[in-house]
Amino acid sequence: MARMKFLCDDERCIECNACVTACKNEHEVPWGINRRRVVTLDDGVPGEKSISVACMHCTDAPCQAVCPVDCFYTTDDGVVLHDKDICIGCGYCFYACPFGAPQYPQEGAFGARGKMDKCTFCAGGPEEDHSHEELDKYGRNRLAEGKLPLCAEMCSTKSLLAGDGDVVADLFRNRVVRREGRGEAWGWNTAYQDK
Amino acid sequence: MKFSTILIAMLFLTACYEDTDVTLHEAGVYKGSVDQHALTAHERETVLKKRFKQVQMDR
Repeated sequence: MARMKFLCDDERCIECNACVTACKNEHEVPWGINRRRVVTLDDGVPGEKSISVACMHCTDAPCQAVCPVDCFYTTDDGVVLHDKDICIGCGYCFYACPFGAPQYPQEGAFGARGKMDKCTFCAGGPEEDHSHEELDKYGRNRLAEGKLPLCAEMCSTKSLLAGDGDVVADLFRNRVVRREGRGEAWGWNTAYQDK
Repeated sequence: MKFSTILIAMLFLTACYEDTDVTLHEAGVYKGSVDQHALTAHERETVLKKRFKQVQMDR
């Protein structure tokens, strides 16, 4: 059975943030919430690296382990999803997640936290596929349409990959072999004379 | 007078109705809605692998 995974190739990511924008637009993510974001290490220094981070749909998900109301479930595709009707917005999953994936919209007065929101691997939620409730609570269900997450599908440098872990690993392994240990980012040598 | 007071009080209190249909938690048991899929896991795997090769493979 497939296990859906994300992989971001740091040699190719150019920090364009198109994945972030695509995700927000596709799922109409509320203001102040980012299901995906780009993290840059050594920003502005020659050799800086960027990676796009969201929920990694862990095989042994810590969010799932700490949830006091067990609102998480893993689909047959290995996608970690949750039921917002059961979530109590306690924030435990945020503390447990090493990627900072769970997000909480502000609801009501005094900055009260709403139900947790996170990347769904474009697989919607437990509501009926393509229903208004699913779209409203979790965003679009692209997997049910036979498509993969939009963030990866529209990545211009093919840095962000999303799909069955075995297929993604094969592709990445071929890239590493082809590079022979050299960086693959176009223009580094020209831009920084970093030879 | 007494009757009308009771009637008004009851009308107001109807707004205070609370759904008592609570989900009783059991440790480690997911009690949310069940995610239904049109295709089986194997069919989805085939479709998504094809899609990956179509869209995300290196040119």
